[in-house]
Amino acid sequence: MSGSETPVVLIVEDEPDVAETYNLWLADDYEVRKAGSGDEGLAELDDEVDVVLLDRMMPGLSGDEVLERIRERGLDCRVAMVTAVEPDFDILEMGFDAYLCKPIRSQQLHETVENLLERSAYDDMLQEYYSLVEKQATLEATKGSAELADNEEYLELRERVVELKEDLSDTLGGIDDDEDFIATLRGLSDVEE
Amino acid sequence: MSRSSDSETMYDLTDVLDFEALESVRPGSNILVSGPAMSGKEDLALSVLADGAERDQGSLVVTTGDRAENVLEDFLDRAPEADESRVSVVDCRGDGSRRGEATASGSYVYHVSSPGDLTGIGIGITECLEYLHNNGAESGRFALTSLSTMLTYTDRKTVFKFCHVLSSRFDSAGYLGLFTIDSSAHDDQTLQVIKQAFDGMIEIREEDGRREARVLGLAGQPTDWQEF
Repeated sequence: MSGSETPVVLIVEDEPDVAETYNLWLADDYEVRKAGSGDEGLAELDDEVDVVLLDRMMPGLSGDEVLERIRERGLDCRVAMVTAVEPDFDILEMGFDAYLCKPIRSQQLHETVENLLERSAYDDMLQEYYSLVEKQATLEATKGSAELADNEEYLELRERVVELKEDLSDTLGGIDDDEDFIATLRGLSDVEE
Repeated sequence: MSRSSDSETMYDLTDVLDFEALESVRPGSNILVSGPAMSGKEDLALSVLADGAERDQGSLVVTTGDRAENVLEDFLDRAPEADESRVSVVDCRGDGSRRGEATASGSYVYHVSSPGDLTGIGIGITECLEYLHNNGAESGRFALTSLSTMLTYTDRKTVFKFCHVLSSRFDSAGYLGLFTIDSSAHDDQTLQVIKQAFDGMIEIREEDGRREARVLGLAGQPTDWQEF
């Protein structure tokens, strides 16, 4: 993630008119990059890219192959597959984070990009939450409760843990969506592989 | 936010474990059931689910050790009045690919090949929740037995995050969640960290052949130890 800077969206789409339409819809809110093929898409990819909109059916490298290369490179971006047919959870198992069925409307595109950015934010928060919980547990294991009551670092830590827990439950609607749920779990296993 | 409005029915666990703190447990609460090996954690968790099943609530068990058919048999012994179409199991000891199926008696079983397949477990939970919902279960109870097995497949960080994400999902669904952990199998730091992913804890110990429990974190101060 690129922190507080404008999020970067990469559009990989072989039809120029379609790519330009997406660009027009997104350009006000995001920094948009365009690529006309899978190879070009891979060339445009770097750590700055937050979300990739990837057309599945393209001449040359297919969307599935591009996704595979992205995951091989260990890039932290979210990938939405743009497809003509409605898939199911298989898509999530393949490693895509979301899918969009053509024809796409502006609002739908915005919602998907927002949702994927929110998932990244959730993952980052969950990682921070875990780190702080570890720290808190370490302090609790090494210092007595009387000592901790006066320890400013510990008190701040505890406060931050509570805050983060609340922030997490406000993000992604508290994981009430099946797709968010499964994609988040898949993200956890990916880290382990 | 749609979850846990006042009108929702609270979960009453006192028929299984008679503590005031368990009389009115908020939907979406996730509880860690912690105790040493062979102290009856799984037994307790399944009893809580069976109690719910006899009140027409949905039941969902994720098992890392037992075969789904054994879990179902054991479960229906405990809850003979249960509507079997509101009982479901995610079996993490499957062989081969992920798959879900309804049993002859109408329960739903999803197979995952390893307790380390978190995505598979997630898909299984999603399918089971949908099945239970379609069969009229408006609320339900969930048990995962056990986190200790999961901790042998994946590290503490991942299990912590997994617990947190599952807890959030059950919170949204208005379910009551129980997760068992063998307190004698892990160091204090691990237990301390995992605990943080939950709303409360039921702790179990065995003293002179008597099983005792206490409740922490759900309502006020920790309760006293009490035989069960």
